[in-house]
Amino acid sequence: MIFRFGADGDLTAPSDDRLSVGDPRVVDFLAALARKLLAPAVARRHPELGSLGYFLRPAELNRAVEKMRRDDALVFPRGNVFHLPPANVDTIFVYSWAISALAGNHNVVRISSRSAGAAEVILDAMNAVKADPVIGRTQRMVTYGRDDAVTASLSKWCDLRVVWGGDAAVDAIRKHPLRPSARDLTFPDRTSWAVLSVPGWRAADPAARRTAVVGFANDAYWFDQAACSSPRTVFLVGGRAGDADGVRTEFLDLLLDVVDQRGWTVDAAMAVEKRVNAYGLAATGAARTLDFPDNRITAVTLAGPGTAPRRWIGAGAFPFAEVPSLRDLVPAMNRQDQTVSHFGFTPAELRDFATELGGRGVDRIVPFGSALTFGALWDGYDLPAEFTRLTTLQM
Amino acid sequence: MSVFTLSQAAKEEVLLKELAGLTAHHRANCEPYDRILSASGFTEAASIADLPWLPVRLFKTLELKSIPDDEVFKTLTSSGTTGDVSRIYLDKAAAAEQQRRLAATVQTVLGPKRLPMILVDTRAMLKDRTSFSARGAGVLGMSTFGRDHVWALDMEGEVDLTALRGFLEKHGDRPFLIFGFTFLVWLHLYEVALRHGLDLSNGILIHSGGWKKLIDQAVSPDEFRARLASVGLTKVHNYYGMVEQIGTIFLEGPSGGSLYCPDFADVVVRDPQTWAELPPGKPGLLEVISTLPTSYPGHVLLTEDLGVVHGIDDGDWPGKRFSVLGRLPRAEARGCSDTYREAA
Repeated sequence: MIFRFGADGDLTAPSDDRLSVGDPRVVDFLAALARKLLAPAVARRHPELGSLGYFLRPAELNRAVEKMRRDDALVFPRGNVFHLPPANVDTIFVYSWAISALAGNHNVVRISSRSAGAAEVILDAMNAVKADPVIGRTQRMVTYGRDDAVTASLSKWCDLRVVWGGDAAVDAIRKHPLRPSARDLTFPDRTSWAVLSVPGWRAADPAARRTAVVGFANDAYWFDQAACSSPRTVFLVGGRAGDADGVRTEFLDLLLDVVDQRGWTVDAAMAVEKRVNAYGLAATGAARTLDFPDNRITAVTLAGPGTAPRRWIGAGAFPFAEVPSLRDLVPAMNRQDQTVSHFGFTPAELRDFATELGGRGVDRIVPFGSALTFGALWDGYDLPAEFTRLTTLQM
Repeated sequence: MSVFTLSQAAKEEVLLKELAGLTAHHRANCEPYDRILSASGFTEAASIADLPWLPVRLFKTLELKSIPDDEVFKTLTSSGTTGDVSRIYLDKAAAAEQQRRLAATVQTVLGPKRLPMILVDTRAMLKDRTSFSARGAGVLGMSTFGRDHVWALDMEGEVDLTALRGFLEKHGDRPFLIFGFTFLVWLHLYEVALRHGLDLSNGILIHSGGWKKLIDQAVSPDEFRARLASVGLTKVHNYYGMVEQIGTIFLEGPSGGSLYCPDFADVVVRDPQTWAELPPGKPGLLEVISTLPTSYPGHVLLTEDLGVVHGIDDGDWPGKRFSVLGRLPRAEARGCSDTYREAA
């Protein structure tokens, strides 16, 4: 067991330390961490840490704490929280841990031994903050190998277990029982989409189109299109017959241009992976045409919205399907679907789409460029509420 | 008799016609294949390099065959590192043809008669069900080209010196066949022959299985050859092949250093960025081409091996000569989902 942050020692030993919801010592610590992550040298190398730093600024933290307060109950920390974040999206563990710490919980975060890059920078920054000693005693980040005994004892210790990492991971972790009073907060496999209004695109000026594509490119390429919120299939919505083709061509040309400017590359292995998956879609009849203009972009024309793949195709793989309106997309959505990023729609169209979905699928509807922006409301959960417990008091 | 006879120009003329015919045959008989080609906009090929290739891994994710279910005579599987396996379907004719062509290829260096044979492996391996499909099939397939077989390793995987000495006493004064995986030959046969002064000078070695483990021990293909020559083993032929093109092997020529394509097969090296064919001397991804796959659309396959063509019509045998340089690393995605199986 390697202690990456916090005091060395028995993770499950009883503790006399008490933190409150919005504890000033935690707020100070997170604010100091934010300053380190927003330092220009760090933000240049890891742009995704910039948005994390922004999320941890004191104003944001105070807003989050304010939202935890209630008129009808006293709000307390949930207790002990055990986090199992994914290995490859380096920043997720900080978001879920930070909200939990802000709620005053004692936290143990299992950091994957495969974590690298941004995760290491974050841990270094945490260790460089001069914190009140209570932070290190109550907030611990550890790396341990394939050790069921550790996972089992932390599962028995916690009041809330936060499991990220897909269906298989959730099933595997659930083999370890919790205390009767404890429960799981799970983040299983998700799929995310993009919707592009054909009339909206045509009405937009070149600058607006470019901004939209820059945002979409970040959403898609930052995590190789493999984050749960990364858009994959693009639905072209509305317009007269034939309009969608032209819009798609303009969109892809701009996308390649942006990818070019960023200097993003897709290696040979990934290009082969995309071929295998795209050929698979064609072989089963889910896709009608395949275009491989460049290793960085694979464009797939789907047979219809119903054949949009929920499996990952590879970095820079964009299936397209046409639908007359957002309402026509509703039957194709299900519980697995998380984020729909949009461009070119009116607020009324989006509100109607959300209402028609009725919570049966899609937890977030956000503009292009915001797909990966983490929020306290995530996967349909109100995280601050999940991380606290309520005491009612009647005189 | 040799199957290494055609110059590159002559071969391309013959092969292009046959392969274009095979492409049409598979399109007519394998619907998923036809859909892939239609979706990619393929119409016809003006050259071998124009032929539409399938990534070899597709045989792990799709069922691709050009014969009805009731004509499947044999289903071959490859072992994969990630647990997924290729499935290759042969009818009676394809199964017979691949065996016949494989025989013709190895007889180029062995001659027409079956030779006494040393298998550099252990019989115990055949009992190990989990590793059987890959290693066992290779050994059993090749064993049909020999007779009076002896296993170089005993049931515990130790060198069976008595058996080897007995074999050499009986057969060592005339040509005999040695077959094994490259690493096992190095580890067991070469070192034992050196230490115990075994005379292997009448042996013809055919070996395969990749160089990775040897490169890890800092043994290059050239050094492998030179060291074997030091124990008298000078007729040495490496080969490259895969279950997805069963029956086709690319065989090392007598003077070593290059693999050659039999008359019914060819290779193309592709630039992994543009996918265009690369000229000799430029390494890229290896595409293997063969007319043998008639019951499944495996006649033009993009491998995940890196290779380089050294020259054309300028070696021991006519056609392209090339080397395999190693494997393309598997693509790994970042992402939320496929992440921490290790946590479980």
